[in-house]
Amino acid sequence: MEEFVGEIWHKMLTRQVNTDCVQASVELTTLSQQLAPWYRAMGGGAAKVIEGAQPRKFNIQRRWLQRIAGSHKRFSVSWQDERSLRLPTTIALFSQSELNEFVYFWLTALAAYHCQTTIDLQQSLVNQWFIHNQNASSELLNSKPGLRQQYQNVVQALLSQRQTITGNLNPAQLTREKAIQQALISPGSVSNLPLAPGDPLPVLLWLYPAPLHLVAVNSDDRLDDFGKSAAKQGVSRQQSRKTAQRIDDAKKTDGLLIFQLESLFSWAEQVELDRCQDESLDEDVASVADDLDIITLSRQRRAGAAKIKFDLDLPAAEQDDLPLGNGIKLPEWHYKKNQLVNHYCLLQPFLADDAEPAQLPQHLKQIAQTLRKQFSCLKPQRQWLQRQPFGEELDIDAWLDCLTQQTRSQEPQNVFKTRIANSRQMACLLLADLSMSTDSALNAQQKVIDVIRDTLLLFAEALTSSGDQFAIYGFSSVKNKQVRYHLLKNFAEKYTEHARGRICAIKPGFYTRIGAAIRQSTNILKLQQTEQKLLLIISDGKPNDIDQYEGIYGIEDTRQAILEAKQAGLQPFCVTIDEKGNDYLPYLFGEKGYAIIDDVTRLPTLLPKLYLNLTGIHA
Amino acid sequence: MTQHCHYLSQDREVEIFEHAANNNLPVMIKGPTGCGKTRFVEYMAQKLNRAIYTIACHDDLTATDLVGRHLIGAQGTFWQDGPLTRAVREGGICYLDEVVEARKDTTVVLHPLADHRRILPIERTGEVLNAHPDFMLVISYNPGYQNMLKGLKPSTRQRFVGLTFDYPEPQHEVVIICQESGIDKSLATQLVSLAQALRRLTDHDLEEAASTRLLIYTALMIKSGLEIKQACYACLAQPLTDDSQTQQAIERLIDASF
Repeated sequence: MEEFVGEIWHKMLTRQVNTDCVQASVELTTLSQQLAPWYRAMGGGAAKVIEGAQPRKFNIQRRWLQRIAGSHKRFSVSWQDERSLRLPTTIALFSQSELNEFVYFWLTALAAYHCQTTIDLQQSLVNQWFIHNQNASSELLNSKPGLRQQYQNVVQALLSQRQTITGNLNPAQLTREKAIQQALISPGSVSNLPLAPGDPLPVLLWLYPAPLHLVAVNSDDRLDDFGKSAAKQGVSRQQSRKTAQRIDDAKKTDGLLIFQLESLFSWAEQVELDRCQDESLDEDVASVADDLDIITLSRQRRAGAAKIKFDLDLPAAEQDDLPLGNGIKLPEWHYKKNQLVNHYCLLQPFLADDAEPAQLPQHLKQIAQTLRKQFSCLKPQRQWLQRQPFGEELDIDAWLDCLTQQTRSQEPQNVFKTRIANSRQMACLLLADLSMSTDSALNAQQKVIDVIRDTLLLFAEALTSSGDQFAIYGFSSVKNKQVRYHLLKNFAEKYTEHARGRICAIKPGFYTRIGAAIRQSTNILKLQQTEQKLLLIISDGKPNDIDQYEGIYGIEDTRQAILEAKQAGLQPFCVTIDEKGNDYLPYLFGEKGYAIIDDVTRLPTLLPKLYLNLTGIHA
Repeated sequence: MTQHCHYLSQDREVEIFEHAANNNLPVMIKGPTGCGKTRFVEYMAQKLNRAIYTIACHDDLTATDLVGRHLIGAQGTFWQDGPLTRAVREGGICYLDEVVEARKDTTVVLHPLADHRRILPIERTGEVLNAHPDFMLVISYNPGYQNMLKGLKPSTRQRFVGLTFDYPEPQHEVVIICQESGIDKSLATQLVSLAQALRRLTDHDLEEAASTRLLIYTALMIKSGLEIKQACYACLAQPLTDDSQTQQAIERLIDASF
């Protein structure tokens, strides 16, 4: 009964204080595809993404009913940093959806104008924020006269809403509110924001400085939690990012047992249990997280941290991919002996049989579309063959030649035209380095393995469009005893969601014994009945392993494997993410045998050139 | 060519072209679609007082189409010169527009004409023509997206004096649009500002940028009485993309600009 009454009370209060026009609300997700080009056209950074903004706390003057209901404490305001532009996930300010929609476009354009100035929004103080927003609004209205009418409409609607709060304000706050309203009506006309206690009611037509981050402790904890439940929670319902901070809660006394182990009666006694937390459901945690302004990350007590990790190097057998067969013995080049050592490496083919079918990730769709368009032009097309003995049409030129050049044979010769499907005899094998080094961060957002995965997916999309045969493999190694050779897509298989799922599931691990992987790839490619055979290697650094493969041994073996591939009639080419690749790659692949990429977005321009160079279409 | 051809020089391209012409050197012009390559060649032909033979290259263009072929007439078969042979015999500028669209074997016939020999061997008649002193070979292509897959052979490229064109500077583009369409300067300025916004979308949302030619089309439509926004929708939004979301963003940009 208490709960029932409480619920009714809550609903009643919420309805009373809610000022949103839900029936006319506009979602960011529905407009994001239009907002991105709009932002770029207005002069915003091409690489910036548009994301949802989390509500922020504002200390505004609230009515008593709002105080009782606990509402109007947090508002979604827009802001931007180097990485992204954050806009409210929903705008339901006005009763007309056109006006709400306009607010999105207005804020995006304003952000683009802010970008063009040299002002650092994050560093700007509140007063500068007031001036900058006015200046940007005024510039925008001057350069885009088509926005003026809608801006006036929105401002009128906004002012009528803001008028309702003026009754609760003290004189200083009222003066400040008047200044804001005047600045909205006529941007650029107010030079100073009067001081007053508390925050003004958020101006949702303006951009705010990025939220201040608390001084945070860098985590040196590399044991991230890969739990599936955590991953599920990671998908936010609002598609926005939470502010987070790390705290240093490491206890210096942890980890030291100052009692005799014999006195340890049971394992359970020693486990730190937080019963409250254990009993709460995942959904509760998610909703609590939604309400938090800042999520604090602890260095301690990760989920599963109480488990002891027994195997630091090899995954447990049941979690590993499916090994195929007993392995293949391959030779290796010993540079000191200057000869191949036969049967030295054991290569083990693996198949990720549990990988779930996957779609192309969202962030690659546009690049993939561009690539597909470019590569579809390479698709073998039907061509007219002239001067044929038989054919569908008469070749007039050939016939005239017969008539005009009497010295030639009197009998009609090849005077027909025929159409044939012109096929390119081409097979391409992609070999990706999946060693542990690919787990390192390339930049704030990406690991090397992410770029390798994206590269493989984009290559696959492009090659599917060109109609050429291709296969994709990955490799890593643990000494010469186990060169792990992952089958991602073979030549016989079609590029389907299953193959894509296997590519999406690639994980970094172990070392880089690249010579054996190249030799195996060479053997596979040699079996293909095509004129041209491409071996594309995608790597992030030098060959290495924990035995003598480090250093010159690995380099020499790789070079030898590449020479063998060339002798077998293959064209090896390396795409690397290693910025220092210029040091050793020319030695391995030759001056024109490699390309260095640092950004997957460069692939659309790089790939066609690379592919054309290799296939010799333009030669 | 009776009508006077307008051309507004951007850099020193006119001077370079004249020097190339005086030294009997062929010229290669690179640049995006609709930036004024063809107009430039027409202007130079007029300035140098030479005839111009324009050939729009395409996939099926053969060497025969350039050089000539035997035809059947009332008196039997006879030889008909192609545009290239005519230009070589009589003098004039032979302009191969979008040369990379032509088949690779076609462009090889240009080699002996483009170097110091300046000859055109005609295999079918057994002739070897020495080029007329006024003969000049000019080729153009767009090295952007469309032709990246069909780049020009290095051996062909290295026979030409190269000029790279781009869309004109905004103030020049305004003058060009006013001159070509007759609209007033303020409207032309707004159109150019819109085009610059659209050009920022190139390589991300659009395959190719809004060209000067499209701006001139838009201006002509406006001049002939079509409402400004409608002209922009039809001449800019529609030709630039088929993607409905991008098109809506462009339409919104047009709405914001006028």
